[in-house]
Amino acid sequence: MDAALLEQMLLGALLALSVYLPLGCGQLSLATPGFYAVGGYVAALLSTGVAAFVGSGATSPLWALLAEMVLGGMLAGLIALAIGGPVLRLRGIYLAIATIALVEILRVLNLNLPFTGGAMGIFGIPQPFAHAEGYVLFTLALLALACWLCQRLEALRLGRAMAAIRDDELAAASVGIDTPRTKLIAFVASAVLAGVTGALAAHFLNSWNARAGSFDASITTLAFVVFGGSRFWLGPVIGGLALTALPELLRPVGDLRLILFGAVILLGPLFFPQGLVTAERLRALGALLGRGRHRSRQAPQAP
Amino acid sequence: MDLLQILVNGLSVGAVYGLFALGYTLVFSVLGVINFAHGAVFTLGAYFTYLLIGGAVGANGWLAGVQLPFALPFWAALPLAGLGAALVALLVERVAFRPLRRRRADPLLALITSLGAGVILVNLIQLLVGAESYAIPTGALGGLPASFSLLGARVRTVQALLLGIAVVLLALLTLWLEGSRNGKGLQAVAEDPETAQLLGIDSTAMVRLAFGLSGFLAGVAGGLVGLSVSIAGPYFGIGYGLKGLAVLVLGGLGSVPGAVLGGLIVGLAEAFVPADWSGYKDAVSYGFLFLVLLLRPRGLLGRPLPTKV
Repeated sequence: MDAALLEQMLLGALLALSVYLPLGCGQLSLATPGFYAVGGYVAALLSTGVAAFVGSGATSPLWALLAEMVLGGMLAGLIALAIGGPVLRLRGIYLAIATIALVEILRVLNLNLPFTGGAMGIFGIPQPFAHAEGYVLFTLALLALACWLCQRLEALRLGRAMAAIRDDELAAASVGIDTPRTKLIAFVASAVLAGVTGALAAHFLNSWNARAGSFDASITTLAFVVFGGSRFWLGPVIGGLALTALPELLRPVGDLRLILFGAVILLGPLFFPQGLVTAERLRALGALLGRGRHRSRQAPQAP
Repeated sequence: MDLLQILVNGLSVGAVYGLFALGYTLVFSVLGVINFAHGAVFTLGAYFTYLLIGGAVGANGWLAGVQLPFALPFWAALPLAGLGAALVALLVERVAFRPLRRRRADPLLALITSLGAGVILVNLIQLLVGAESYAIPTGALGGLPASFSLLGARVRTVQALLLGIAVVLLALLTLWLEGSRNGKGLQAVAEDPETAQLLGIDSTAMVRLAFGLSGFLAGVAGGLVGLSVSIAGPYFGIGYGLKGLAVLVLGGLGSVPGAVLGGLIVGLAEAFVPADWSGYKDAVSYGFLFLVLLLRPRGLLGRPLPTKV
């Protein structure tokens, strides 16, 4: 398979995990592409404008990429922290609409601020890796780390609190779970992951503009999670990989490609309302592989 | 620009937002979900209007060069385009909403399925008539002048039409909702679908009615916008769709007068953005939306939110 496509699939899986985190405690946030755009702008601005990050023009050092990912994640996380308190008081469709509004406000800012390059955006972002294969390995490690953290979360108090809020927020609060704090942590974690992914994607795509964070992207990333299943981290990862690859795999059908993509999004939830990855299917798979125990006994995928 | 001119411009844009949000609100009130295919239905209404008044398809797309054998005057084409859009909205209900409802699936899924339907519609338009923009000729209005002056403000006839039609449709809709048997049935289903069903109201028929009406309003709004600012390609409904969402929350989810009031407020607020800051105009509605959600989540005219027990 084409390494560039594989890289896009891996980035899609990371974004899907970012949508999955708040959904894991019942919060439908569509803000992921907004934070993704913010992270990308941080990387694009630093690596094209700040001498220490620029490197030798066309290439940039790996440490600069890592520093940009940290800074991009931090800025996204700070924005989420600032708005999370009031926004997360909203529920269901109201929260979804508020996060769509956030994405749109960020998009308009990105389009109009004096230093973000307007509609053209920022281009000529230097490359830390010579080939797409380098990006693939690096992103694979990042994805493995993110999956491992999500897997660890299930065993932690925080992860259990999140699951309790997802199942019944009032009951969770009544047994002493600090629900506003737990929801805020999930929201900020989602923003940080999206920001880090954006910083990496800006280098890979070589240019960055306001279209990175749009309403379309909000729905596409939500589709990743709905498709793959929102109960377990493997679901969004598979959804992100598959749905990012789909438009490319459909390329042979030419003009009908996006219509078929629409049909898949339309029909998927009708036939798999729980998503592809469900607890029963995981158990069945585990039994098939001769590992009868439940998924919590599964070895973590360390990077 | 003087104040009156700004008011005229703002109100006519606001009327479109209001018509758009009315369609959202009708569906939301009976199903509690947002129909993301609404923007695509609006777009279709614009293309239907263009074809019905005798416009020819451009050089791209499968229907290149096709033209209807007749040309209707605008006043006849617009309601027909609305009906066409209503049929499409019914189709969307059939494929994207009813199967989920029958299975009592998570309403969240309807966001995805309706978006899928919207993606299909938008790309179908692109396939059939190409991605270029189409302008509905102003001559479509027959003998009416392109603009007239009112107390010193320059009013385009289209703007007056937009506002007038929006007000008339709102009045008719309100009368119908309050005065007719079906209108009351619709309200009953919005209140509580199961009790309504027990009382002998066919809730599936009411849902279909809501979709049909919502599609008609979207189609008419699309035709009017096409006449006013041209059809800027298959994707042009998406921006209106997002604005409509902001308007919907601003006015109060499920409130009919709220949708219109919200539309007018957003339209006016955008018109007052100074030209130097026009790039930020699109953020105005979302800024409002944010404020309303934080200060008064039920919206300006919405009912108090139910507290979950």
